[in-house]
Amino acid sequence: MNTSMKRLLVPAVLVVAVLILPRLVTSNYWMDLINLSISFAVACLGLNIVLGYAGQLSLAQAAFWGVGAYSSAILTTQFGLPVWAGMFAAFFVAAFFGILLGIPTLKLSGHYLAMATIGFGIILQLILVNAIWLTKGSDGITKIPSPWIGSFELKAPGDFYYVAAVSLILFTWGAINLKDSRVGRAFMAIRENEMAAGTSGVDTTYYKIMAFALSAGYAGFGGWLFAHSCSHYISPDTFSFDQSVILLVMAVLGGNGSAIGSIVGATLLTMLPEMLRFLKDSYMMFYAAGIVVIMIFMPSGIAGLVKSMPVGLRLRIWWNADSTAARQVAAAASILKSPDAALPATFSACLGSNQVLLTVKGLAKYFGGLRAVDGVDMEVRRGEIQALIGPNGSGKTTILNMLSGLYIPTAGEITLEGTSITRQKPHIITAHGVARTFQNIRLFGELSVLDNVLIGQHGRSKASLAASIFQPASQRAEEAAMRTKAMEVLEFVGLRGKEFSQANSLPYGRQRMLELARALVSDPQLLLLDEPAAGLNAAETEALVELLFQICDRGITILLVEHDMSLVMNVSDHITVLNFGKKIAEGSAEEVEHNQEVIDAYLGREVSNA
Amino acid sequence: MDWSTNLQMVAAGLAMGSIYALVALGFVLIFNAVNVVNFAQGEFAMVPAFVAVWLMSSLNIPFALTCVITVIFMGVFGIVFQRIAYYPLRHRSFLPVVISTIGVGIFLKNGAQIIFGAEPLSMPRPTSATALNMLGVFVDPQYIVIILCTLVLLGFQHFFFEKTMLGKKMLATAQDKQMARLLGIRVGKMIAITFAYSSILGAVAGILVGPIFFVTKEMGAMIGLKAFCSAILGGFGSVPGAILGGLFLGVIEVFASYYISSAYRDAFAFIILILVLLLRPQGFFGEKIAEKA
Amino acid sequence: MLKLEGVETWYGAIQAIKGISLDVSQGEIVALLGANGAGKSTTIKTITGLLKATKGRIEFMGKDITEMEAEDIAEIGIACVPEGRHIFPGLTVMDNLLLGTTPRKRDSKGDIQKDLDHFFEIFPQLQEFKESLGWQLSGGQQQMLAIGRGLMSGSKLLLMDEPSLGLAPIMVQEVFRVIKEINKAGTTILLVEQNARMALLIANRGFVLETGKVMLADTAANLLANEEMKAHYLGAHAHVKEARQRRRSKAEGR
Repeated sequence: MNTSMKRLLVPAVLVVAVLILPRLVTSNYWMDLINLSISFAVACLGLNIVLGYAGQLSLAQAAFWGVGAYSSAILTTQFGLPVWAGMFAAFFVAAFFGILLGIPTLKLSGHYLAMATIGFGIILQLILVNAIWLTKGSDGITKIPSPWIGSFELKAPGDFYYVAAVSLILFTWGAINLKDSRVGRAFMAIRENEMAAGTSGVDTTYYKIMAFALSAGYAGFGGWLFAHSCSHYISPDTFSFDQSVILLVMAVLGGNGSAIGSIVGATLLTMLPEMLRFLKDSYMMFYAAGIVVIMIFMPSGIAGLVKSMPVGLRLRIWWNADSTAARQVAAAASILKSPDAALPATFSACLGSNQVLLTVKGLAKYFGGLRAVDGVDMEVRRGEIQALIGPNGSGKTTILNMLSGLYIPTAGEITLEGTSITRQKPHIITAHGVARTFQNIRLFGELSVLDNVLIGQHGRSKASLAASIFQPASQRAEEAAMRTKAMEVLEFVGLRGKEFSQANSLPYGRQRMLELARALVSDPQLLLLDEPAAGLNAAETEALVELLFQICDRGITILLVEHDMSLVMNVSDHITVLNFGKKIAEGSAEEVEHNQEVIDAYLGREVSNA
Repeated sequence: MDWSTNLQMVAAGLAMGSIYALVALGFVLIFNAVNVVNFAQGEFAMVPAFVAVWLMSSLNIPFALTCVITVIFMGVFGIVFQRIAYYPLRHRSFLPVVISTIGVGIFLKNGAQIIFGAEPLSMPRPTSATALNMLGVFVDPQYIVIILCTLVLLGFQHFFFEKTMLGKKMLATAQDKQMARLLGIRVGKMIAITFAYSSILGAVAGILVGPIFFVTKEMGAMIGLKAFCSAILGGFGSVPGAILGGLFLGVIEVFASYYISSAYRDAFAFIILILVLLLRPQGFFGEKIAEKA
Repeated sequence: MLKLEGVETWYGAIQAIKGISLDVSQGEIVALLGANGAGKSTTIKTITGLLKATKGRIEFMGKDITEMEAEDIAEIGIACVPEGRHIFPGLTVMDNLLLGTTPRKRDSKGDIQKDLDHFFEIFPQLQEFKESLGWQLSGGQQQMLAIGRGLMSGSKLLLMDEPSLGLAPIMVQEVFRVIKEINKAGTTILLVEQNARMALLIANRGFVLETGKVMLADTAANLLANEEMKAHYLGAHAHVKEARQRRRSKAEGR
């Protein structure tokens, strides 16, 4: 089956499904259920974005669903606005509340975040109950109108179905597009490793709020679907914490991070209670027991199960074989001729130019009484490889963290080419041209090798949320260019052919190379490496050394922290030695090697027995 | 503002606060031991309430014996819970565990409904229903019982953790599991005991609060959420914090719902929660936790 | 007393130890040295049972302990003073010490009291801090407490992981004095240290690790005089010097 036929397959199936279904389902009851499932599915898709993509546990999704339902219900019943206007209101009012939730919870994660979202949801529900003048309180709002197309009222469930189905298709399409786009990757980077996302150039604050707003908007739209179909009646009881839990279970059952999974989960858990009617009261118990069992045995949900089955695997490979990504990667690979042609050699005869790139003055970091860094002055010259060494606890990593914006210095100034970068946020420092790797490898583990490197280019690309969802030609061109560049860097570090492997699955040494690639792809002026040789064997270390020389040849300045002395002595043009947070020596490798104070600090001073 | 009403409210607030404190304590002990937030903790108070009502109303077992049986039952319950809901997931990330404990909570809620019916049940009072006149203030004697029992229990707990070797081993396990193992402390046993004790705290809370409200399957949910707020208020992970947080929340709730708005009574706990999370996320006594780069 | 044969251990995705063999005889102080990341701490963790060896054999007093759990290893007579001390921060000095006696199921209260008194003889500075909480102590005091807690177990073998880490030089002096003293009193010690010189001054023998393997093994006196030691720590090996020449000439050639 060639590509163009494959491309037409999905839309064809969808068209058929949308048109045929109402003819197969004759009872209004089941049609109502389908509409209800779709309403939940859209809300679930939203949850999938904030939780599955961005990793933020939100237990307020039902509240946003309610806000959407109520916004539209109020506007259409009390103010007589057309239902389509209510649709926009539902989405945007809910999104606004999503922003309201996102802002105060930025610094929270895990249980604290979950708790805060629960609280937010409960407060919203209480407002719905008590603002009687607006929402009619517990009585709820009745006689919510159906939408009209021209002179045709979509009153019957079978008619409303078309609206619901088309909306579902559009919202799903958006969610799927989002996953493989700049914004989607930013979300996933935050989920996988927020710290590394920041240093790779992602403005985590902005994107977290965006995730909340977008997912709330989705939920709001789902609420609109709910209000204007089914019983045409809403009351606050429906939008409770329990409902948020149900939405969460739907999302996780379907498979966290899978858009199609969300639809499957939502449909299953809407239909199931009806089909299991015979269980009567014990239904909820089975449901709950099922949740526990699924968490123990199937934590990746249905999507995960399908992916791991051989059938699912083959289906995926067949489907992805001709995908845009694969074609672009293949195209880029054919352009690369030899390793030397990989990166344009921007030879700047910098070595020996003595031009200062980075200046550090009086840098200090105190953690309470602990003086991790205690007044350090340093200079890094353009084009050189400088090493920062010292025994455990001497402050090396703390300095790197301050240089990359992860710690705020207690005192001191950091200047990059005349611009002060002290106290700046990590993604801004990255934009200035500083990239780093981490001591404990911070890759975006569940993402592919290629995606890891693409995220590294986040700061050098532009696609907005709208562009990421609708994917106009300009966005697709940008993606293609990014992929080409990613391929070049992967070739450079020796990871060609592994583009679609999961980052986690790489052997340790290759993971280090990937982290290096991610840092390089952002076109940095200064590369900060935190123990790049840790855990590498002799052969891998030698390969690393070669790579470092080549990076330097391309005009990139390197500051590295290392314990492997053979690497340091071999590679560095200049060495700075720290001990107890202070600089005790600096100079060339020979000078440092023979410095008595350095020898004492490392080998240990012979303390005289008093 | 007549001060006798205010004092009445203080008593009511302290009483409810004690209940929150007991449940919050259950949260915190489990969290300290195994780094898991048990979203079913509220149900740990609901289940024993039902059990106690059944023992007293259907089997006519006297109050004192009921308490003993219920407490033992919950102790065993805690150990079973740990084996089913926590143990298989102990190495996973926090999302599966959160969902799993939520699932157990729902299971218990609906199980209670099936076994005991959907009608709210009334728990026989151990104290008389007539208000006591204390210094001109009329106080429901059950409040006094709650506050006193909580104090006694906390006193016993303090003694246990401060003076007995077993208590110290449990504290050690919660503070540094690996080091405890290196000393030969049987960490698995310590964790089981922690869960059992947490459940017993729930039993006490359930039996104490039962006579004031009706015993329903929903009673655990709000108590659980508010107890969680109390724990965060006090500094999640801090034992005295959980207690103080609970008492504080109980009193604030009563006063706020009287002076500000009774309709939003349930909201105050969460408004305070969000404020705390915004302004001082470590609560009264907690420590700031920063991620290591 | 303690023997390791061909032990291999993985730490996450990395093979931290690649076949280590060493031995400690009764009454000795043996030093385990090496640069950061060489595998010293992993070796200790494998002996104590916190990590499981994937290959090889560990023997203690004739008994195979390779597969034993950490709690059981503590009971058969191996105590550990771990890297970073790991004092229970919320418990008092006394409590920390008493918890150290956990493996001693059969000893009487009198014996334990004797050992407590003995502890305060060796560390008189901690007498006034008896009821202070762990987090209130200074680094040096915590180290003393950790050593004392290890001693309270009455164990025959004491593993010490980087006791001098983060301590001021004068405290380091104290710590090593104490280690010598407790060894004289009969405890066998396997000592992991960054401060190689200080360790070798009190040790009988030493093993030097590099990237998970034993590179040097000799008496302490021989190791102190060994030039290769300096190389292992400030590694400018011969072939490395060549590579450096190559780079230098490359730069000068531009």
